[in-house]
Amino acid sequence: MDSSPANKRFAEDIGVKFPLLSDWHRKAVKDYGVYNNETGYGTRATFVIDQSGIIKHIEEGRSAIDPTGAYQACNLFDKKKSN
Amino acid sequence: MLKRFAPLILLLAGLAVPVFGQQPAASPAPPSAPKPAPPKTHLKVGQPAPDFTLTDTEGKQVNLHDFKGKQNVILAFYILAFTGG
Repeated sequence: MDSSPANKRFAEDIGVKFPLLSDWHRKAVKDYGVYNNETGYGTRATFVIDQSGIIKHIEEGRSAIDPTGAYQACNLFDKKKSN
Repeated sequence: MLKRFAPLILLLAGLAVPVFGQQPAASPAPPSAPKPAPPKTHLKVGQPAPDFTLTDTEGKQVNLHDFKGKQNVILAFYILAFTGG
């Protein structure tokens, strides 16, 4: 797991504008069910969570690398707001 | 549109090899021992997202509940981001 200083260096390298969080103790990966006991690390996954804290979309594995699914879920929020 | 979202990235790294990368040519997995599929989350769409408290790059604690009623959140577990995986 990357530490916060390692994340900071990474954030500077790629110039991100959003928070990069460190799950040093692997609690979040376990709580979200994406912890791999065999490797001791998490797997790639994306969760879209609305303002009320409800999960609206989940991408796991290879598809989580592609942001299209999460982007489409965001579009669903916009459509609901415009209705 | 994306301004209403607070994208959060969890960087969980440390392996020297990619989790989803190609099998090394020199040591392919034998047919009798297929690589186990990665775990699938127990969470479902429509369920409350588990709260978390994690540290950002400035050492500040970030909680999911801080965004409740304010912003939607994209939470990306991005494994091996800093290790070339």
